Amino acid sequence: MAVVGSGWSFAPGGPGIGEPGSGVVSPRPGELARMTFPYRKAGLTERQAAAHLLSRFTYGPGPGQVDAVVRMGLEKWFARQLDGSFSDDSLIQVLDRYDALKLTNEQVVSIYPRAGQVVRMAIRDGVVNKDSVKVDRKEYRDLIQSYMQKKGYKREQELFRQLISQKILRAAYSQNQLREVMTDFWFNHFNVSITKNDCAEFIPAYERDVIRPSALGSFGDLLLRTARSPAMLYYLDNFTSSAPMPGGKMEAVPAVQGVTPAEDAANNFRRNRGLNENYAREVMELHTLGVDGGYTQLDVTQAARVLTGWGVYPMTEQGKGVVRRYSEDQLARRGFVHDGDFFFNANRHDKGPKTVLGHAFPAGGGYEEGVELLEMLAHHPSTAAFITRKIAVRFVSDDPPQSLLDKMAKTFREKNGDIRQVLITMVTAPEFWNAEAVREKTKSPFELAIGAVRSLHAIVEQPLQLYTWIARMGEKQYYYQAPTGFPDKGAYWINTGSLLNRMNFGLAVASGRIPGVRIDLAALNNGHEPESAVAALETYGRVILPERDLGPTIKRLTPMLTDPALAQKVDAASPKTIASNNAESDRSAGMQTGDMIDAAKASKVTIEPVGMGNPMLAQVVGIIIGSPEYQRR
Amino acid sequence: MLSRRGFLKGSGLALFGVGLMGGIPAFMAEAAASDKLVAPYKRKRVLVCIFQRGAMDGLMAVTPFGDKYLQAARPGLFISAASGGKDPLIDLDGRWGLHPGMRAFEPLFKEGRLGIVHGIGSPNNTRSHFDAQDYMESGTPFNKGTASGWLNRAVGLLGHDAATPFAAVSLTSALPRSLYGDHPSVAISNLQDFAIQLKGNPAAASTAARSWEDLYDQTSSGLLQETGKESFEAMKMLQRADVRNYQPSGGAIYPPTPLGNSLRQVAQLIKMDVGLEVSFTESNGWDTHFNQGSDNGIFARNVTDLSNSIAAFWKDLEAYQDDVTVMTMTEFGRTVHQNGTGGTDHGRASCNFILGNNVAGGKVYGTVAELAVENLEDRRDLPVTTDFRSVFSAVADAHLKIADDRILLPDWDGKKVELMKV
Repeated sequence: MAVVGSGWSFAPGGPGIGEPGSGVVSPRPGELARMTFPYRKAGLTERQAAAHLLSRFTYGPGPGQVDAVVRMGLEKWFARQLDGSFSDDSLIQVLDRYDALKLTNEQVVSIYPRAGQVVRMAIRDGVVNKDSVKVDRKEYRDLIQSYMQKKGYKREQELFRQLISQKILRAAYSQNQLREVMTDFWFNHFNVSITKNDCAEFIPAYERDVIRPSALGSFGDLLLRTARSPAMLYYLDNFTSSAPMPGGKMEAVPAVQGVTPAEDAANNFRRNRGLNENYAREVMELHTLGVDGGYTQLDVTQAARVLTGWGVYPMTEQGKGVVRRYSEDQLARRGFVHDGDFFFNANRHDKGPKTVLGHAFPAGGGYEEGVELLEMLAHHPSTAAFITRKIAVRFVSDDPPQSLLDKMAKTFREKNGDIRQVLITMVTAPEFWNAEAVREKTKSPFELAIGAVRSLHAIVEQPLQLYTWIARMGEKQYYYQAPTGFPDKGAYWINTGSLLNRMNFGLAVASGRIPGVRIDLAALNNGHEPESAVAALETYGRVILPERDLGPTIKRLTPMLTDPALAQKVDAASPKTIASNNAESDRSAGMQTGDMIDAAKASKVTIEPVGMGNPMLAQVVGIIIGSPEYQRR
Repeated sequence: MLSRRGFLKGSGLALFGVGLMGGIPAFMAEAAASDKLVAPYKRKRVLVCIFQRGAMDGLMAVTPFGDKYLQAARPGLFISAASGGKDPLIDLDGRWGLHPGMRAFEPLFKEGRLGIVHGIGSPNNTRSHFDAQDYMESGTPFNKGTASGWLNRAVGLLGHDAATPFAAVSLTSALPRSLYGDHPSVAISNLQDFAIQLKGNPAAASTAARSWEDLYDQTSSGLLQETGKESFEAMKMLQRADVRNYQPSGGAIYPPTPLGNSLRQVAQLIKMDVGLEVSFTESNGWDTHFNQGSDNGIFARNVTDLSNSIAAFWKDLEAYQDDVTVMTMTEFGRTVHQNGTGGTDHGRASCNFILGNNVAGGKVYGTVAELAVENLEDRRDLPVTTDFRSVFSAVADAHLKIADDRILLPDWDGKKVELMKV
């Protein structure tokens, strides 16, 4: 079992392609030592450069972090982020309680059945009479619940709750911030979605075993690992894709209600004949070449034929029974491949010759021709341009300069898709540091919320409460439906509804009104309470927005904050104890009802208003977090 | 990015820049109270789409009641149109019967405002909810990678800049796939939440709001400045309209359900003349594998909610009815045969409803053959005889005056169903 958070290790049954970064010439220590950041030429001080660095490669600077990076040296700090070599012991300890996240896919399938599946099993086991199924009756629900308890089954929502919680905790507290940022980047690039039932239960292992270990490795590795992962095989339907029946006839595929993906995979051993082009199209359009990357519909169809037979090894005893009629040796001799969860079914593979992008794949290529195809795509010049542009958009600006893109694409091509080398090229380029880049990105809702936690040294005890806000602001992580992933541009995140929610979030978090998110504002200033609202604005502005020019903000707000009536009003209106956000508004943020058990429990708790001794302070900090300056990074 | 500056040019808006809370000129408050708001926008035509998630059993909603094969296939589900029955189908035309739960639809159909298309569905035969919804909402049944939704493209094809943040509004907690895309669209689950608020401390919220309005006005980021300005204007507009105390017109009573609440808020937005042109909401619970019921039960409750919500919405619109068309959609239909658990499984074609004064209603469109097994798709399902795109395009084109179907529905060049009055 992989220790969650240990970085490069794998769960048994994982893809087993070899160490991440294999085939990649990793930057040598000497190379990193020679790395210099040309920020002075762009007119930045060392401290400003450190703040910029933190704004791009972390989820935001915590108090004092600019100083820490300056002390360590900017280049050295970045090199250590590339290595992911900071200690995360305390985080790993916290994450240890998320038991579901340590499970293999097969264990997940056996413990977290899908909702419809439970009912079918309950009927089969005679617990529920099939004529009395009433999904809306309490006694029926109780029956199902006790059945699940007895069988040791758990609700699928619990799995997603843990997944979401760990994402928030890692982003907020991991010392190896770059790895978390890149994990988020690649997950979004190779998006899969909980909204698609078939792939949902495989998403925790997908992020843990496929994305995170390779997030700073090689692009080719990532591509192959995603292609072989159950989550992607189900999300883009490649598991159903097979050579057409002889004579070109397609067998109709009646959907079977309530069948788990694992059972389905077993059934696929026999049925579901026909080509499905979804993955082949998206792997070119979205994962590698880009929509203008120079492929045709014919290439899509041919690539789909190359990738037929790629599927998932059965995860239930019933499913395995079918495969076990043959020994592993027999299967291997017939061209089958069983590697962890991945299963290449040679019988479903299209054995004819194909041509993709002018490259000929002779007849009988089997599994290997799929690997060859993905390698070819990973090394295509269109891929180098497409991927490096996406990286530059994430880290530099929504419209990065061509001169920078050219350098990054060149590194991508020459260094075999080594992600670290591409990042080094980017961060050592003048374009990364110039005025067109600094503060030019708009924080996504996730970046805003996690940034606030980090800015305020908040203690997150109930990550789902934060998630509710993030969803409300427009970024329901893990639920983005389309394979494109969330668009990465300010104009997508900022609209009238989301902007008001961002401001409300600022007020709520600074006032200690988000249940399970504890703050102590006075502690951020060594226990000193500022003497006036303007003093608070100056002091906390420096802590929360280090190295930003706050002059204009302070000037604008001073008249209002020095209004003597204000302090009185805010004090008078501030309740002494605060009931939390009500559960109804949490639900409206888009969490499924089942996810909200924690929230509902929490809503009954009266929160001790930690750090609420000074409502004026909370107000000022809330205004800073909701301000336009804080929305930028 | 589209210019949304037009929003600020609305003639009436200058009047509202007078402080956040209170401070509304008296005549304005009067107008608000009397429900006759000073409208900053010319009245717009509005398309309201309702997605029935889970796949509605079209054969139970609108039943070919004389079909002996259907009756045989559904011994526990079939409802008769014979008036001797306890709660018979509503006979529409001698062939089709509305589910008795949809009595509210009967007058609208008889008046010729409500049209029905039967046998509608996707050319892609997937029976996966996710895939079928995805394809229907993107409007490209064979292409997953389409980044935008069809309704977002409709917004882009309106022929003018979206001049208001409320041009496209989804009454859902997250933006639906239908509205993904570059054209400004917002998801608002509750209009009352469209405000700066801090529970238990309105004074703090009000001070913060004033500070932010000032700061966003001054920021050097064009995006944040522009959107900030719009947000505060939009917020004031909603405050002015007093959304909390909304009274529906015409004695309309909305069911106290998520759909009823959503449609009530759509009606509010329409009557406020805030520039709404495309609206989206959804209705859940149509995946009736177990004990679907017949004249009573899960399905009956669902269709009652659907029809009562829509009928209340229609009544509430009053003078705005001419501007509005409502269209329902669902990802696929359900098996002709009932299954072993008193329900139906994933099938192919279903039916949908289109309501509006410019709909050539009072008619069931589409082709549905007798449900003998040899006439069924894969020998089990109502076959798709009308591509959903030929209805979506007909409605959107006629109602919103959209001319370019190649952008609205790329990869499609079929024939539109002529269900809209010319």
